[in-house]
Amino acid sequence: MTALPPAGTSVAPGVPAGRRLSAWLSGRPRVRLAALLAPPAIWLTLVYLAALLALLTTAFFSVDEFTNAVTRTLTLSNVRDVVSDPAYLRASARTVGVAAAVTALCTVIAIPMAFFMAKVAPARSRGLLVALVLTPLWASYLVKVYAWQAMVQPGSGVIAWVLRPLGVDGPGYGLMAVVLTLTYLWLPYMVLPVYAGLERLPDSLVDASADLGAGPWRTFRNVVLPLAYPSIVAGSVFTFSLSLGDYITVQIVGGKAQLLANIVFANYAANLPFAAAIAIIPVLITVAYLAVVRRTGALDNL
Amino acid sequence: MLRTAHVKIATAAAGLALLASACGTTSGGGTTPSAGGGRAKPPSLKALGSVGAGEGTVNILAWAGYAEDGTTDKTVDWVTPFEKETGCQAKVQVANTSDEMFEKMGSGTFDVVSASGDSSLRMIYAGKVAPVNTALLTNYADVPAFEKDQNWNSVDSVAYGMPHGWGAQLMAYRTDKVKPAPDSWSVVWDPGSPYKGAITNYDSPVDGIAAAAVYLMSTKPDLAIKNPYALDQKQFDAAIALLQQQKPAVGTYWASYTDAQKALESGTTVVGSTWQIIVNLAKADKAPVESVLPKEGATGWADTWMVDAKSPHPNCAYLWMNWETKPDVQAQIAEWFGEAPANTKACALTTDKTHCDTYHAQDEAYFSKLWFWSTPQSDCLDGRTDVKCLPYSQWSKAWSSLRS
Amino acid sequence: MGTEPVTMRWDPQLSGPRAGRRLYGALVSTQPQPDVDAARPAIRLRGLRKRFGTGPQAVDAVAGVDLDVRDGEFLTLLGPSGSGKTTVLRLIAGFELATAGTIELGGVDVTRRAPFERDVNTVFQDYALFPHMSVTDNVGYGLRVRKVGRAERASRTQEALDGVRLGHLGDRRPAQLSGGQRQRVALARALVNRPRVLLLDEPLGALDLKLREQMQVELKAIQRQVGITFVFVTHDQEEALTMSDRIAVFDGGRIEQLGSAADVYERPATPFVAGFVGTSNLLSGAAAEQVLGRSGTWSVRPEKIRLDLDDEPAAEAHDRSATGVVREVVYVGSATRFVVDLDAGASLVALQQNVQTSSSDVDAYRGRRVRLHWDPRHEVQVADPATAPTAH
Repeated sequence: MTALPPAGTSVAPGVPAGRRLSAWLSGRPRVRLAALLAPPAIWLTLVYLAALLALLTTAFFSVDEFTNAVTRTLTLSNVRDVVSDPAYLRASARTVGVAAAVTALCTVIAIPMAFFMAKVAPARSRGLLVALVLTPLWASYLVKVYAWQAMVQPGSGVIAWVLRPLGVDGPGYGLMAVVLTLTYLWLPYMVLPVYAGLERLPDSLVDASADLGAGPWRTFRNVVLPLAYPSIVAGSVFTFSLSLGDYITVQIVGGKAQLLANIVFANYAANLPFAAAIAIIPVLITVAYLAVVRRTGALDNL
Repeated sequence: MLRTAHVKIATAAAGLALLASACGTTSGGGTTPSAGGGRAKPPSLKALGSVGAGEGTVNILAWAGYAEDGTTDKTVDWVTPFEKETGCQAKVQVANTSDEMFEKMGSGTFDVVSASGDSSLRMIYAGKVAPVNTALLTNYADVPAFEKDQNWNSVDSVAYGMPHGWGAQLMAYRTDKVKPAPDSWSVVWDPGSPYKGAITNYDSPVDGIAAAAVYLMSTKPDLAIKNPYALDQKQFDAAIALLQQQKPAVGTYWASYTDAQKALESGTTVVGSTWQIIVNLAKADKAPVESVLPKEGATGWADTWMVDAKSPHPNCAYLWMNWETKPDVQAQIAEWFGEAPANTKACALTTDKTHCDTYHAQDEAYFSKLWFWSTPQSDCLDGRTDVKCLPYSQWSKAWSSLRS
Repeated sequence: MGTEPVTMRWDPQLSGPRAGRRLYGALVSTQPQPDVDAARPAIRLRGLRKRFGTGPQAVDAVAGVDLDVRDGEFLTLLGPSGSGKTTVLRLIAGFELATAGTIELGGVDVTRRAPFERDVNTVFQDYALFPHMSVTDNVGYGLRVRKVGRAERASRTQEALDGVRLGHLGDRRPAQLSGGQRQRVALARALVNRPRVLLLDEPLGALDLKLREQMQVELKAIQRQVGITFVFVTHDQEEALTMSDRIAVFDGGRIEQLGSAADVYERPATPFVAGFVGTSNLLSGAAAEQVLGRSGTWSVRPEKIRLDLDDEPAAEAHDRSATGVVREVVYVGSATRFVVDLDAGASLVALQQNVQTSSSDVDAYRGRRVRLHWDPRHEVQVADPATAPTAH
């Protein structure tokens, strides 16, 4: 037995091993801490950082000009191709635009929803409402996207059909359809944090604002919004980064529109280093986004 | 995505080691007329010596419609009889693009692939596929000579596969929306096309750019394009410019044949590049869709069954290739997919007795007019030596940029 | 209660620091109180009802309340939790809408008006300070919302903060303040708007005893100085007795008794009031007949009862007296509570000042026979429990 209790720790014989281990650990906070931190640390370095590093390195590899097979000759040409071709700059701008639009739409829709759930609906129906918001997450991603394909389909789509009497065409396939579909897909990721944030917001603060003479809009702007801001930012991290990395929705309802992830997808088989070089763009955008968010101080309150 | 990239590196590295050990640096000395001009020889790999008992399983990477097991249509099934006859369980995966096939082959994940010309040569030179022993291919003798020893299935007269069938990249159109019935690619390339926004194009670097080059061959003769896969910088730029000019008019670039079929059925796209099977499937759904081979000619594909260099089930792979190219099976496939069968004995067994005539299966002259998918190389495929042509890597970059 | 607060002077006896004076100055020096019709109550509630939920689960939190709150008075709504007192306060503030009945503020019907349209301000139980704003911004919020000019806002905010001795902490966030300081900020934030009525929802509940007692005195002083009508909700009967001009004792969504502190304490109208305000000490039925010689239910406050050992000489003849056995002795420092089981069948609590006794002395009383006696004038008849509306 190597794990004998140290002197001064008396453990009765016949105590199960698990309890003995706990007793042994209880006197050794450093060992405890190390044991607790080891799995996440290993996960973070090996799985997460190693993959990112591999991506980064691959971007500087070359390909055989004939087979496009990867060769480990270091080159800057992939990065140069990405940077020098305005098409990719436009695609980056388009991608950020879509992610920002999705985030904005999600926010605009989620705040009243979350407010209703957290502050208006009776307390006992909140669980049900949360479950309802979560329900779409149980459905397959593809099913939802194809459902939206049927919604936005030009001519025969549901939206086109609804708008026809007004003499307006539906959005059809394209970026608008992508924004709508992604908004639908990621909405729960915005509603939940905002709901959690608003639920933590004491009712009395809303009452107090009204009591001091503020109308509903003023109360929303001066009290609810500032206090819900960190949760909105938390939700936006989800909606923004998820939009940044999506390509299937774009393929299905985007028409010929391409976002960064589509370019990665289209190139990874033909030219992996180039795809890796493109894939670095969303990583940089996300880092920049988090940096901006951090500057606002919103992350401190999470 | 990161995880996938990670895995890719591993497989790419494995393939790379093979390539490096086998082919070394480009020598530029050899003069192989049709294939790999100016390149080193492909890695020397042994073809199978003899076909033994089946291993019980075969993993197949195929184009849609090449390995039907009755799930698409109850009556369309030649996989089940194969399994019964050989005892090899066929596990079929459908690929959407040649790049996807290139990516997935070479690791032993699959035993056989129905490779097209824009990936087959790359697979050979990357050491992803092994030569075939034509003596073990029971139907090889029934393939017309003009399909053999081509630059998409052989290197230095060493066969790397069993020809499967061929056809043209046709133009599909909605009979209710596109009037009069088109006979020229101009409806998809002309900037004034009335079908702006409803035009579709195949999302492939090789076919996409070559299709533009084919159109330029007849509309801009002064560019002197002789082979749409052998483009020097000026010709290449002209093709890209044509594609850029077409881009606003394109509704979708299709990559999956089901998406292409759905788009035609819903009318989202009304005209554009297609495969006959897409049209067949759409017609089966009662959509008013027809296909045509436009007067400018077309790109085409000639598909070849190839065996993975690391195939874990080579016997079943050969059994599959032999089964797939039997006259009766070839007849079924040819009619289902809408292509010319490689085994011309199938022509007697088709339900529509004119099928082989329709698809010019035995027409060498027609065959030679189609521009079969090939992998572009810097040494021009058309034999020019005064200029350099753009190699595949440039094609794929340009296509990626165009699509972004 | 005086209706002219301006004439009221600061009573140094009540002060700690001169908080009230400064707050008073801040509130009344720049703007005289509006003329108020003395005959018109500050708040008038008629037939007020509030039902929560529907169907069989419905609860009448407020089940018919009529109440006139006089202008400038300190009225306390006293009752146990669930008695409806807080709901009445919230109905007055406008946070809840009445199911039935009317609410008038200064003669104007505000029953259906939103909170921000009512000239009342509230001090919340949890203070409800805006955590993302500085103390100054919290206090100035009402003025900002009402578009008071920047300069005036700054000076009034500063005066109000000075008034609660927090003038130096204006830049802090609420999280950086102690409970007592937050309480003062909440008070300043409400009073700086010069409301007609200030509503206080158990504002002292979260403070420790010492601070609470100090704030009770201070609040009362401030209220006298500014002359604003205070409606104060509490479940603490001592707090209610200490501070109030009048007390409305709530139970079951109704007012059981409305009167001055002395009224409610000395002359409880119902057994519930007798029990909730102080110790109930009820004699009824046979015990009442035997000890008091009269029927009905009667209450005698514990501190009115004297206790002697049974063998000591009898008290004065006109005193009521009863004998019994001491069941329990509770030493509370300044006094001792004796629980005595009477021979006549009931039990009474007698509170004796520990003038000369100590804890060891009083313990000797346990189990001893004693004689209780009291002046019959301190016997108060309360409504018969059998007929009282809120019998327990």
